[in-house]
Amino acid sequence: MTSAAALRIQIEHSLQHRFPAALSPMARSTLETAATGIAAVDELLQGGLPVGAISEITGPVSSGRTSLALAFIARRTDEDNVCAWVDAGDALDPESAAASGVALSRLLWVRCRDTAPPALRKPWTRLDQALRSTDMLLQAGGFASLVLDLGATTPEQGCRIPLATWFRFRQAADRTRCSLVVLAQASFAQSSAAVVLDCSPLQARSKGGTVLTGFDYQVQRGRQRFNSGSISRRKPPASVWQAATAWESEKRA
Amino acid sequence: MTKPLYACIHAAEFPAQALLRLRPDLLGQPVAVLQGTPPLEIVCSLNRPARLKGVDLAMTRLEAEAIPGLHLLARSLESESAARSVLLECAAHFSPRIEDVSQANASSCVLDIAGSERLFGPPPILAARLRAALAAVGLRTSIALSANFHAARIKAAATRGITVIAPGQEADSLARLPVALLGLDIEQQETLLLWGIRTLGELAALPEPELIARLGQQAGTWRNLARGALAHTFQPMEPAFCLRETCEFETPVEQADSLLFTAARMIDCLTARAGARALALASLTVHMELTGGLVYRRVMRPAIPTADRKFLLKLLQLEIAAHPPQAAIRRLTLTADAGQSSKVQLGLFAPQTPEPSRLDVTIARLKAIAGQDRVGSPILEDTHRSGVFRMESFAVAPSQAASSCTPDAAPARMALRRLRPPVAVRVELRDLKPVAFRDAERRYRVAAAYGPWQASGAWWSAEGWNVEEWDVLAESAGSTVACLLVRTMEAREDGRSLWQLEAFYD
Repeated sequence: MTSAAALRIQIEHSLQHRFPAALSPMARSTLETAATGIAAVDELLQGGLPVGAISEITGPVSSGRTSLALAFIARRTDEDNVCAWVDAGDALDPESAAASGVALSRLLWVRCRDTAPPALRKPWTRLDQALRSTDMLLQAGGFASLVLDLGATTPEQGCRIPLATWFRFRQAADRTRCSLVVLAQASFAQSSAAVVLDCSPLQARSKGGTVLTGFDYQVQRGRQRFNSGSISRRKPPASVWQAATAWESEKRA
Repeated sequence: MTKPLYACIHAAEFPAQALLRLRPDLLGQPVAVLQGTPPLEIVCSLNRPARLKGVDLAMTRLEAEAIPGLHLLARSLESESAARSVLLECAAHFSPRIEDVSQANASSCVLDIAGSERLFGPPPILAARLRAALAAVGLRTSIALSANFHAARIKAAATRGITVIAPGQEADSLARLPVALLGLDIEQQETLLLWGIRTLGELAALPEPELIARLGQQAGTWRNLARGALAHTFQPMEPAFCLRETCEFETPVEQADSLLFTAARMIDCLTARAGARALALASLTVHMELTGGLVYRRVMRPAIPTADRKFLLKLLQLEIAAHPPQAAIRRLTLTADAGQSSKVQLGLFAPQTPEPSRLDVTIARLKAIAGQDRVGSPILEDTHRSGVFRMESFAVAPSQAASSCTPDAAPARMALRRLRPPVAVRVELRDLKPVAFRDAERRYRVAAAYGPWQASGAWWSAEGWNVEEWDVLAESAGSTVACLLVRTMEAREDGRSLWQLEAFYD
């Protein structure tokens, strides 16, 4: 037995009455998931986004991040769950949310703001508000899903968020069984994220070159923890999904 | 038939007691209460330590200030009214039939407790429980029990603690008490003093016809009172249930946080009183009178009626922190509306929702961070104008029966990410279609433009709009974005239309 293993056993033994298996990670074979409502994405994730963990949806502007997150929230509120949207950039469009099927009465929206005058504004003000709000909501519990929208936060700022913050979020999400979805331009949570989805735009669809009818997006699974052993390697690492404009969807209906 | 039995509660020096019940910091300290207009204030009430220090009623403020260690408070009729309603409410737990017999600066009431032995035990035990209940709400009282209404009233006013007068012993029990307790005026007292009558026992021993012949019919009433034999028709009152606590400060309070010590005690009283009727607090109104004649008023409505003192105090703290009073506080009043205690039957398979009371505190904290109007649920306005909504306070709606079958996957919809406020851009047009635009940071080349979509409305009012919308695919620095450009049709002073980048499709 190596000295490290012996040391671990010795520490665990001494702490046994307080923390059973203090240094041994708990074995988890399967992770509960919640469907996003988009068949291609659910197939890619083998069920949906994980419950009680952090999922990151990353990509540039117009890559379908927000549409994907709203589809997920719509599915969750449709199941009578209560969700929250912490909006660092104050960018959520309630009309789009309602058109996606989100029950607005079951959505708590926190709109971060700049408190300083325009000349003295700093990007950290909104980011700090968003992180503190997320922390409070996760600690309060009862929210099935929480979207932390950092879509307008630059990667330079987002990478400065301490890893301890993400670790605390992961612990709180696990304890309260909350799906924390982070919308961002790049992955910030690193090892704390259970799933990272990289989104990118493919092509716009139009009718006769005069009406925008939808968009094709590509979503790629950048990272996924807790993979079960039965994953087929023939599954594609990326999927393509379509989103239609509100007027096109109404026309179809 | 049940034998009559009355219990009289007597709270002496009520103006002082009403103020001191909300001031635990003055417990055991000598306190005198002043009334009148400055500088002609006089002592109208005092507690026992003050009396031991030599303070007396009608002493002037100057004389009282000369006594070291004496705390002087201003009389508050509101505090007395609140304390009186507390007293009556407490008494109502033991008997619904109560008659108010308050006199001078004492608050007294008589309870008809006939037939309550099975509920509360023998009379001495009932009296002890009644006194303990009043002590719990901060009132020191004396209690007398008698089969005669007036005997109980007179005995309670003259003695301390608990006195139980056995049936038939009323005259003996009252015999040593002074005749002044009958409420005689000075002239009548002097007449009796000239006769050598000082106690009720001596008055009761006088022959009734001769007494009436000399002092009139009222003398017969006095004699019967002194004998504990005067009959009384009980006139019960219905105490109004009003959850209200008031505290007036002798010096205006600058720091709003320091109010919480007083408010905690007031909330305790309110929750206890509501709890005694199996109720909780559905709303809590804070009313403050500030210096300079300003008034501060906030209403807090928990998601569900609650009797959790810590939760209510936290809500109050967050509310005061979010809306601090603009001046020093002279008087604090808490008023509550009672509501049914929440009893929620949770479904075994119902989805998890936030705990209402905890959610209230969380939302109050979020509002302190992000702003009062920036936390809640968005509600779409009934208008064709895009991007119009209002925020409403968030409350968890009751859970509906979840659909047993999985909903079909509806086609996903393109969502917008709004720019608030919209960014003004300079647009290059060719054949009336945008071909490029520039904001403060970069230039976009338009790959495809879909539109224009014209919308207008409310032209009859100042909120009217008339815009032209373009869905645009634009390229910049190797990336493609889909965005919404809006052109305001009203021309500006320079003759150009205003173009704005309102949102990105994402």
